[in-house]
Amino acid sequence: MEAKYDFERKYRDQVLRCSSCGFCQAHCPIYGLTLRPALNARGKMLVLKEVMDGTIELNDELVETLFQCTTCANCSTNCPSGVEVPEIIKQVRQDMVNLGTCHPAFTAMADVLARHPNIYAEDDKPDFGRPLNRKAEYVYFIGCVGAYREEDSTEETLSLLDHLKLDYTLIDEVCCSGVLEDVGHKINPGLVNRNVELILATGARTVITGCPYCFRTFNNKREYEALAQAGVKVIHLTQLLQDYDFGVRTDKVVTYHDPCDLGRHSGIYEEPRRTIKKIAPNFVELSHNRAEAMCCGAGGGVRGAYPTNSIAMARRRLEEVEASGAEVLLTECNSCVHNLANAKLRKHKFQVFTTTQFINRLLNKEG
Amino acid sequence: MEIQGYNMPEDLYYDENHFWIKVEGNTLTMGMDDFAQKTAGEIVFVQLPEDGKVLQKGKKFAKIESGKWLGKVLAPVNGVLLGVNEELETNPGLINQDCYGQGWLYKIEPMNLSELEGLIRGAAALEKWIPAEIEKYKDQM
Repeated sequence: MEAKYDFERKYRDQVLRCSSCGFCQAHCPIYGLTLRPALNARGKMLVLKEVMDGTIELNDELVETLFQCTTCANCSTNCPSGVEVPEIIKQVRQDMVNLGTCHPAFTAMADVLARHPNIYAEDDKPDFGRPLNRKAEYVYFIGCVGAYREEDSTEETLSLLDHLKLDYTLIDEVCCSGVLEDVGHKINPGLVNRNVELILATGARTVITGCPYCFRTFNNKREYEALAQAGVKVIHLTQLLQDYDFGVRTDKVVTYHDPCDLGRHSGIYEEPRRTIKKIAPNFVELSHNRAEAMCCGAGGGVRGAYPTNSIAMARRRLEEVEASGAEVLLTECNSCVHNLANAKLRKHKFQVFTTTQFINRLLNKEG
Repeated sequence: MEIQGYNMPEDLYYDENHFWIKVEGNTLTMGMDDFAQKTAGEIVFVQLPEDGKVLQKGKKFAKIESGKWLGKVLAPVNGVLLGVNEELETNPGLINQDCYGQGWLYKIEPMNLSELEGLIRGAAALEKWIPAEIEKYKDQM
């Protein structure tokens, strides 16, 4: 029988390969929070088997199951059967959108990006007081969260780059739009072309992204191939910072949260740690770190579509921070820092910063 | 009073960003109005600054967020933050459930109550303001 949906054409073998062992339940942030089997990879694969068998249809009733996933890949990283759950989920979402069914928050996101240059429908662009679009060796690409939700963190990052006397420019950036493909829609070519044109016009050989998700989008999406073809390299901020000595130290106990998009998805674990350990000799690891890191709950569109659960997942991550005894939690993803900061309670005595924010504070003797 | 499905008590003061203010003796209580909580959606985060924070009229002193929306809370008057609704730390949805009661946000000690006079108040003002706001934000409804 011919496959009815694209997810079945591409991933039938993998869906069937799921042995329902449930190992993923130990790693899934949504299952850990809700204990609902339908929201975990095992449950999702069981549902998709029934869809493939024709027992149930892909329709609105499956939105909660199939759209409530941060695509953190903790499940697939630990799957003994090698099922690539996030890729399957993203394809299923595209099938559902093609059928006209989708979580309303994600439909809204696609509409927003069709009319606005960022995911928040903000028309007033932030002004970080630095020139845009000039000729420079580097472009610093902020990302939507850094520009519109974590402006203070971005300002401190830019101050640090100024302190390092890096020859960089900002651009009149628009959303990388990579997130659209995670939530069933298509990357926005107009936004992609705008970013590529602006980057190439600066003559920069390297783009530094503040956002791990933008980093992945620029490096992995074929729509951004023009950058590589022009010899432009895209790196994440942590890959730049690891080469510097800042000449500051703290005696505080510091820990680090591995963002999923930087860690599991991009394999960048040691670069942030090199920087942090130079400034914080009293560094401690969270009990789940590197490839085992717990997701903060913001990714895969979950912060926009299931915000209460998103923050609850972040709060569970903060329980590990509290247990570590750390006084400072660092991370290098504005989405993570935003969700973790929202989840932080008054009883939590530790502070939450991006690494660059913290370095800047030490330089200004505020840490 | 109800205006096109939005509950807007006439005896409260309102700022243009849809925060209500109630005078209780020498203290002001501040919260989010029904129009704002319905437009914002499920509130998931309310910033709760420390008591004693000095507030400057018109300046941001806190923020409120739903899934994708962020609202800046501007001080309606010059004064001092006396207290915050600590229930909102773990149950910010109280704002959606009962925005004029259990979902109150902040208590403020004003320097000068006369600074409230520029705010929106009363049936006539509300009947002019809310329909205009509905039109202004209709794309976000």
